[in-house]
Amino acid sequence: MGTSPFRLGWFGNLTAPEWRDGWSTDDATGWTDGRFYVQMVQAMERAGFDFMMLEDSVMVPDIYAGTAELELKHAIYAPKLDPVPVVAMLAYATAHIGIVSTASTTFYPPYLLARAFSTLDHVTRGRVGWNVVTSSEDRAAQNFGMDTIGAHDRRYDVAAEFLEVVRKLWDSWAPDAVTADAATGYYADHTKVAPIHHTGEFFSVRGPLNTPRSPQGRPVICQAGSSPKGRDFAAAHADMLLCIPNGLDGMKAYRDDIRRRAEGVGRDPDEIKVFFVVEPVIGRTDDHAREKFEEYLSHGQRNYEFQMCNFAATMEIDFSVLDPDLPIPDDVTTNGHQGQFAIWKETFGGRPIREAAAQMRIGSIELVGSPSTVADLMEEAMARVGGDGFMFLSQPPSRSYLADITEGLCPELARRGLIRSGFRHATFRENLRSF
Amino acid sequence: MFHLGWFLGQGFGIQPGRGVFDGNAWRDWMKPQRYVEMTAALERGGYDFVFIEDTAMIEDTYGGSAEFTLAHGEMAPKNDPLPLVPLMAQGSRHIGIINTMSTIQYAPYTAARLMTTLDHLTDGRAGINVVTSVTHRVAQNFGFDEHLPHDKRYGMAAEWMDVVTKLWDSWEPGAVVGDTETPRYADHTKVHTIDHAGEYFKVRGPLNTIPGPQGRPVVGQAGNSVPGRELAAQYADTMLAMGHNVEQMKAFREDMHERLIAHGRKPGDLKVMFLVSPMLGESDAHAQDREARRAAAMHEAENIEMVLWGLSYISGGTVDFSKFDLDARMPDILGNGEQSSMRQFVAGNEDKTLREVVTGVRQIGDLGLVGSPDTVAGKMGEIMEEVGGDGFLLYQPLNLNPHSIAEYVDGLSPALRKRGLIRDGFDSVPFRDNLLAF
Repeated sequence: MGTSPFRLGWFGNLTAPEWRDGWSTDDATGWTDGRFYVQMVQAMERAGFDFMMLEDSVMVPDIYAGTAELELKHAIYAPKLDPVPVVAMLAYATAHIGIVSTASTTFYPPYLLARAFSTLDHVTRGRVGWNVVTSSEDRAAQNFGMDTIGAHDRRYDVAAEFLEVVRKLWDSWAPDAVTADAATGYYADHTKVAPIHHTGEFFSVRGPLNTPRSPQGRPVICQAGSSPKGRDFAAAHADMLLCIPNGLDGMKAYRDDIRRRAEGVGRDPDEIKVFFVVEPVIGRTDDHAREKFEEYLSHGQRNYEFQMCNFAATMEIDFSVLDPDLPIPDDVTTNGHQGQFAIWKETFGGRPIREAAAQMRIGSIELVGSPSTVADLMEEAMARVGGDGFMFLSQPPSRSYLADITEGLCPELARRGLIRSGFRHATFRENLRSF
Repeated sequence: MFHLGWFLGQGFGIQPGRGVFDGNAWRDWMKPQRYVEMTAALERGGYDFVFIEDTAMIEDTYGGSAEFTLAHGEMAPKNDPLPLVPLMAQGSRHIGIINTMSTIQYAPYTAARLMTTLDHLTDGRAGINVVTSVTHRVAQNFGFDEHLPHDKRYGMAAEWMDVVTKLWDSWEPGAVVGDTETPRYADHTKVHTIDHAGEYFKVRGPLNTIPGPQGRPVVGQAGNSVPGRELAAQYADTMLAMGHNVEQMKAFREDMHERLIAHGRKPGDLKVMFLVSPMLGESDAHAQDREARRAAAMHEAENIEMVLWGLSYISGGTVDFSKFDLDARMPDILGNGEQSSMRQFVAGNEDKTLREVVTGVRQIGDLGLVGSPDTVAGKMGEIMEEVGGDGFLLYQPLNLNPHSIAEYVDGLSPALRKRGLIRDGFDSVPFRDNLLAF
């Protein structure tokens, strides 16, 4: 069909992997040593992924019915490891794949974050990305001295200044500041390392950064905003975006909109790669895939509880007070992920909450079939939307599901020349822009 | 028997690199492999832990400029040590790894979560060295105009440790069920909010990760002032201690034991590790010759500047030591930084000139440990016998240099082991259990 190649990423979480399906002997408790994720990222690199992203949040949600029971029963958002040290482990076990870690502009001081990601860029040899989030949960804010998270639009104002500060810090070492000249005895030239003296509305930071300039200069910037404010932010700052618009029309509209906004602020739109989140179901044959999908849908109560936890954690809406046999009332709003909430409401349509949630699968398009069928669907989608790639989500991640993708779907995509067959460049950003 | 620790005094930062056998560490100190090898070597040498320093600033107090700092690579550049920890652990099996965290840099929730994560990633070998940061320059990178006064920042650190400890304890043992039938991953009735509201911090909790293999990571402390000692007596499993002779060391340890008892702990709960830089040689004469050359080099202009630079730093960025006449009296300064370190230069030296002090006083001394490995091992045994126990934290600047590490790991350690003074292996237990085993 001659479709241009596209990219694959994984929407990962450092939470308990699938532990209920009988294919995971020690994973229920053993995952915390990080080895599960090391094996996962190695498989992805081999299969032709551009990157693995690590989502993050800092709370044990207890919004649904006012208790953490369902949350901890299903282990969705908690317990969870801190991604920053895990990035180093993942990088050490691989050679090329990009590794994106989430960190919140609300909870990190800019200096600490600039230093941590500069260090990660050094130890990954230029393969780190930062998924910029503003955090959206009061429960997280309450772990950091605040009563509430702050209003949605204000969080983006804070994030914009935060980004300005960390960029100044990353640029506080000129590219040629380190001379390491044993003859003169000068390691670095102090005239090329300058304080930033930033004093703004939200931050006051002197600088300079105490880590030297890293291989990429600054990490790849990833963003997930879908509200208008979030889209403007992404268009101005991001190298890559992840999003879950509904259907092919939604995907195309979203990507066109981001590219338009990027041009509006004077950027080359090809510098921003848009990734659509999908959750394919892969079988040996289409019938086998359909059976697996039916089996998933048969866990109606579990899926319903799972989605209620999702809503509670990210929107901080307690659905337990609503009648599950009626649709979502019109007057329910959120201070959390606003763009996402709008999409979910649309997905639910007029269906009762329990019914819609039990059948819900997160993703822009439904992908159920053999590797060949799913590859066809992905190819068609990319041809229609214009690019740039997909991100796989599977929560909890499981070894068998990962193998469905890396050993089933990816080889089929590779045979068609639709995903990368290797890495031409040393750094993540260069590889991300290579086609 | 006593314990050995290794002080990685430059942190994940620039290393010396201009000597003949210094190798390439000046240039490639930011590559993790050298640290992996160093950690594996120290484990072979029977060291209980590596203790990683950290500071987040570029010092420009001395001479009002960062020129000296960056020309010589003094405490900068430096990377964040946390991502290094799991890598160091991968090349070893038993040795503990203690990283430094400042209470003005990390929110308690971030710190508690990072340390638990590291405890998981290292299979129970993580430790935290709690510091309050020394200079205004660090504080100014974190939104302060100036650093808090010395005592106040220790008050803040005590509350910080209290919060971090509560977060570590917010999951009861047995909270993780992993029942695949129900299913029930964790039992929510055993996971508690901490609802802390104090003078400096307000934190709801619970922690969003499950307890690591050690529950609470090993806690280290390095402040030797009274507030520093109090913090250690309450929370620490080990501490970095300064002592320049056996009497001081003995008194320090006894003082810590009294403080531990006052906090309802046992003297054996805290290992006091004395910082020392032995001078080794192939023979006693060789070591003495090296020591004589080291002492003579202290009079060279570059080394004098290095010490003056160091004094400006430990003053907390309050005093520029380039401004004083080297041949006038030692100025009487306490500063707002490392007050115990400053006292060591000032106290008892009031009649000396600044030059005499900077060429004669060493921040980290050798306790007379100059000689062949066998001689030094014998002296270390005698000192520990008199002090009563715990151990030494060894420091020398060429951390990443296998040539230099070998002197300690393959020279001194076998000599100590032959005398039965250090461990000859590790039990397969978490870091804390090895540390408290004797």
